Amino acid sequence: MWQLDFTCEHPWWLLLLLLLPWVWWFGRKSMAGLGRLRSAWVIAIRTLVIVCLVLALAEIQLVQTSDRMAVVFVLDQSRSIPEQQRKAMVEYTNEAIRQHRRDEDKAGVIVYGREAAIEIPPFDEDVELPQLVESVLDPEHTNLAAAIKLAQASLPEDSSKRIVIVSDGNENLGDALEQARAAAESGIGIDVVPIYYHARAEVSVEKLAIPSDVRQGQPFDMRVVLNNSAEATAEDSGEVSGVLRVSQTTEGQPLTLSEQRVTIGPGKHVFTLRQELEQPNFYTFEARFIPDDRRDDGMSQNNKATNFTYIRGSAQVLLIEDHLERGQYDLLVERLRSQDLEVTVRPTNQLFANLAELQPYDTVILANVPRERFESDDLIEMLVRNTEQMGAGLIMLGGPNSYGAGGWANTELEKAMPLDFQIRNPKVLPKGALALLMHASEIPEGNFWQKKIAYEALKTLGPQDYCGLVHYSGAGVTGADWLWRDQRANGMLPVGPHRQRMLALLDRMTPGDMPDFDPGLDLALQGFKTLRDAAIRHMIVISDGDPSAPSVRVMNGLVAENVTVTTVAVAAHGPAGNNLLQKIADDTGGKYYRVTNNAALPRIFQREARRVARPLVYEKEEGFGAQIHYPHEILSGIEEPLPPLTGFVMTTVKDSPLVEVAMLAPVSPDAANNTLLAAWTYGAGRAVCWTTDAGQRWTTNWAPEDWESFDQLFSQMTRWSMRPIAEQGNYTMAIEQEDGQVRVIVTALDPEDEFINFLSINGAVIGPDMSTDALELEQIAPGRYVGAFPAEGAGNYFVTLSPGVGQAPLRAGVNVAYSAEFRDRTTNDALLKTLAELTPQDGEPGVAIGTSEASSLEDWLATNVFRETLAIPKHRSPAWHYLVLLGGCLFFADVFFRRVNANFAWVPVAAARARDFVLRREGEAPKTEYLDRLRSSKAEVGQRIEQQRTAARFEPSPDIDPADAPLDEIKPESSRSEQPRAAPKAGGVSGPQAEEESYTSRLLKAKERVWKDRQ
Amino acid sequence: MRDEHAMPSRARRPTRAAIAIVCLVVAAALVSLRAVAVNTPGASVGEVDRVWGRRGLSEGRLQKPRAMAIDSQDRLYLVDMTARIQAFDADGNFLRGWQTPTHKNGRPSGLSIDRRGRVLVADTHYYRVLIYSPQGELVQTLGGKHGYSPGEFGMVTDVVQDSQGNYYVSEYGEYDRIHKLAGDGKFLLEWGGHGSEPGQFMRPQNMAIDEQDRIWVADACNHRIQVFDTQGTLLDCWGQQGLAAGQLQYPYDLVLGPDDTLYVCEFGNHRVQKFTRDGQPLGAWGTFGRGEGQLHNPWALVRDSQGRLHVLDTNNHRVQRVTL
Repeated sequence: MWQLDFTCEHPWWLLLLLLLPWVWWFGRKSMAGLGRLRSAWVIAIRTLVIVCLVLALAEIQLVQTSDRMAVVFVLDQSRSIPEQQRKAMVEYTNEAIRQHRRDEDKAGVIVYGREAAIEIPPFDEDVELPQLVESVLDPEHTNLAAAIKLAQASLPEDSSKRIVIVSDGNENLGDALEQARAAAESGIGIDVVPIYYHARAEVSVEKLAIPSDVRQGQPFDMRVVLNNSAEATAEDSGEVSGVLRVSQTTEGQPLTLSEQRVTIGPGKHVFTLRQELEQPNFYTFEARFIPDDRRDDGMSQNNKATNFTYIRGSAQVLLIEDHLERGQYDLLVERLRSQDLEVTVRPTNQLFANLAELQPYDTVILANVPRERFESDDLIEMLVRNTEQMGAGLIMLGGPNSYGAGGWANTELEKAMPLDFQIRNPKVLPKGALALLMHASEIPEGNFWQKKIAYEALKTLGPQDYCGLVHYSGAGVTGADWLWRDQRANGMLPVGPHRQRMLALLDRMTPGDMPDFDPGLDLALQGFKTLRDAAIRHMIVISDGDPSAPSVRVMNGLVAENVTVTTVAVAAHGPAGNNLLQKIADDTGGKYYRVTNNAALPRIFQREARRVARPLVYEKEEGFGAQIHYPHEILSGIEEPLPPLTGFVMTTVKDSPLVEVAMLAPVSPDAANNTLLAAWTYGAGRAVCWTTDAGQRWTTNWAPEDWESFDQLFSQMTRWSMRPIAEQGNYTMAIEQEDGQVRVIVTALDPEDEFINFLSINGAVIGPDMSTDALELEQIAPGRYVGAFPAEGAGNYFVTLSPGVGQAPLRAGVNVAYSAEFRDRTTNDALLKTLAELTPQDGEPGVAIGTSEASSLEDWLATNVFRETLAIPKHRSPAWHYLVLLGGCLFFADVFFRRVNANFAWVPVAAARARDFVLRREGEAPKTEYLDRLRSSKAEVGQRIEQQRTAARFEPSPDIDPADAPLDEIKPESSRSEQPRAAPKAGGVSGPQAEEESYTSRLLKAKERVWKDRQ
Repeated sequence: MRDEHAMPSRARRPTRAAIAIVCLVVAAALVSLRAVAVNTPGASVGEVDRVWGRRGLSEGRLQKPRAMAIDSQDRLYLVDMTARIQAFDADGNFLRGWQTPTHKNGRPSGLSIDRRGRVLVADTHYYRVLIYSPQGELVQTLGGKHGYSPGEFGMVTDVVQDSQGNYYVSEYGEYDRIHKLAGDGKFLLEWGGHGSEPGQFMRPQNMAIDEQDRIWVADACNHRIQVFDTQGTLLDCWGQQGLAAGQLQYPYDLVLGPDDTLYVCEFGNHRVQKFTRDGQPLGAWGTFGRGEGQLHNPWALVRDSQGRLHVLDTNNHRVQRVTL
């Protein structure tokens, strides 16, 4: 497949080769004395030296070319692609690879929705794409540009490259054309296979509009807009008949408001429904179109639209309580209701599902609820956004399951509260120690879950707590190892100074398949033994249960060290694995969990890690006093002495001037940890921390029958935190959506109904994913302000605006029933054909395959996507340095051959001797002729040496007196005479030495004369 | 003249003899050095002959293969983490493949060939032995019920057959024992138990049967080799945990060699060690790594008819063939 070629970067240097004839002529002349053969050798070598140097100067390069093709199939997996078409595109991909791929061609697959992912990297074999793609994608969007970019990056350099796009072309993120142009400039060809929707019509519910100013008892009109994108023809009117149903949901109770038969012809249709809301509450409306024949309608996802509104009544309070301990705050609820507050109690197993459901409430009370009752961090974030952006109040009531003791440390909620939920002063708090043993390698995405679990456990621990993680690395004698350890090889390290390092190491963690529990548990046991100051010792083992059982020695050791071991069976191998894990937990007093849903793992670990965080609860049976630290508005009218209490959860006051600590329990030396009541303003809302309970376990003396200020304290606390109500001016806020954009319109009137101009109205938009974006409104008319933001994803969007200093925020929400994926109901042929028509560098334009709605799989396969119509890849590698090296070696050979007369006469002699030795033959006596020749050669060489010696010896010429000769003429003679002087060995003065002495003395005399003359 | 010629001739003979002796000495030294190298603990005893296997899910690809067996025609059978049993020739060319009936609970971790050439699969997490024809047809199932009673198994690791046609099934988990079953699957006896005393086991991962029907057991988590007769009587027990030559670290598989030798595959030390059958180390091959001649948690090894060892390099998703 590979072919070699050469090219020169600077070819004009090759002109130097024209000098070669001159080199040959010169060489022939100057080396005539070497003999014909030697001079020919030398000239040939010198020619090569020159050629090497010239080629090096010309920067010769090796060029490798290949006819190998690499094709990446880019498959659209967004929701707009019907299920049937998805199957067809997988089938097409597999068949195209099977039929058209040649031996060394590579084929890969990229799938995309909102983002792109490599499903199969380019492989030189017939890869088989499964019907269900394995990559996890967000199918609510189509980002074709990201897919092209990823395909471009994944295509190998050593092949001609092509991208085959299989899509409907309806992108709603990125710019595919721009990305495709960049790919074409890189020589990448693009073929497209358009996906068509096979439906005679497409009906969508575009909008369910509700007036923005719905008031209690006042009739209003709801408008439902339906659109049929079919086009009427002579054969088909395009009409679709079905039922339009409008329903309303309040507090989880659905109610059908209207159900009517409708026939929707091509185009838009508006249906109006009059409605009246009698009670203050939060109302959700839904309009849904149900076609009589499902085949008449292309997509069912866009057949509904929802919207919501709420009728404001008196002050509303939502109290969330633990569903496992229901009723513990009944007393408080009753007393608040007696203070004209409308309190709704929701257990944690019936929590709100979205931010919209929190809008009727002016404050939310979290009453001794542990962190793990919230199934996801999203719900916690909603609570925080409800305060920060929407201005609602947030109160956290104490109890053994709240604050740090409830696992709330390092959460979004902690950020919103005036107190930190951890204690940094080691003198105040006993330490806990938690060891984790990870062996979940066989569960799907095992390493991902192990990391997530460890993150959650680390988050729950305080800075003084110890944490260690044991896994099987295969290193050392046992293979079990700490993920982190100090210089003394101890892996139980305090979390505070090592948290960042621990998190970094967790990212790189790749635990192996542990054959045996014993070394891992033993290692943890040794770690616990080094911790003398850890009051609570806990270990969590996550495993599939197939390592061999631990030894009795290790189990007894764990019990002796008061280490409780909780085991979590994940993807356990049936009863055998489960029994072992249960036994470990039973023997050490830990808990045993059997997990079938991996998503539950982090919550289990949060719960277990809380065992270590328990010391945050301060309890004293005989009770202790409380002090007012600051006369906060909440404590207005409440005076000391306050009743004694028996417990609270220790926290640390946030280092912020906004925090107002109103009440303290002076029990520990650090006042920052003794807070009973603290409050601050967080964003647009207010947050209050009450670290003890409300008349139960710790505050029985504070109950209303014993303390008259109970109602006053808690009603003032609740009212202070509530969302402010607009008192000045008349602001009307309308919100409407159109083609992926939401427009916000505010009309501002003063109490005299005059327009308010030149306001600076800005605020924030909270999206369905709880992301917050800034929004600024512009004045477009007297008293009229408008702003807009994109709303591509489905879900609720909330807008909160601040009309000015001292004004209550304006709030409104809108629901986008379906994502942008379902807005386009026809294939974007124009874009796809444009992509195919792009001409790649040094190649031919691509092909739009099967551009008819009637195209079949055979039609698609008729085009060979592995065809060779693209730029042939060239790989250039410089070769000048090799040539310089070769030239250097040849130059040495040139000098060698010129200076040394190599004699190869010894070769046949050596060969004959070797032969005799091997055959064990007597060596032939040297032939007389040979000996004669040898003797004659010897004599000849002797004569030659004698001649040289004679020539080297200084013999004074009778005609020239050396004393009269100039010094520079004498010097060379003297230097030549030094060579034979070194040869004689010690042992008497020889003749030449005597001659040299006389010469030297004469020379000295000559020099002396010269000096005398100069003087 | 005759005397002059005779003298050099006499003088040359001892010289030639001396050269011949030197050559012989050098040759002998080279041979003995090699022998020393082979017999020195820790020295490399083999050379990589072929490396094959590529990670993947398609035919012929491997996904963390954990067990391997070889039949009399040098066909290799491998089972991987997808519960596929794939047959290859000795050069790694794919022949055929099939999958166990179910693998939700876990994948098989043992494979061997019985005297009729059938493939015995230790279906570990279903507490049973699956017996397949070489073509992949399921012909018999032994066990299948978790428990301690006769005929019930824990997590099955391996099964071998003696010259009388009896099966020996090793298991671990709660029980760590070896069952002896008749050819028709009827329970005969059992021995072992969880522990580290001689005769007890901690994860007996693999077994081999020698010419005298002695059962050699790789007692993985006790880091030793135990030998039993067909009645479960302990005959020998050797090996200790460690990294040094002659020590063992999770021996996962073993194969009997010629001249009373034994090869042991160590999961923990990423190597294959050669021993005499009484436990004297003769050398080792393999180090930790991903390169050729390096291993990453090897699970199994087999020996073919030409005396070559095939090592299942599990975490590198490949097989390395070693000539000795």
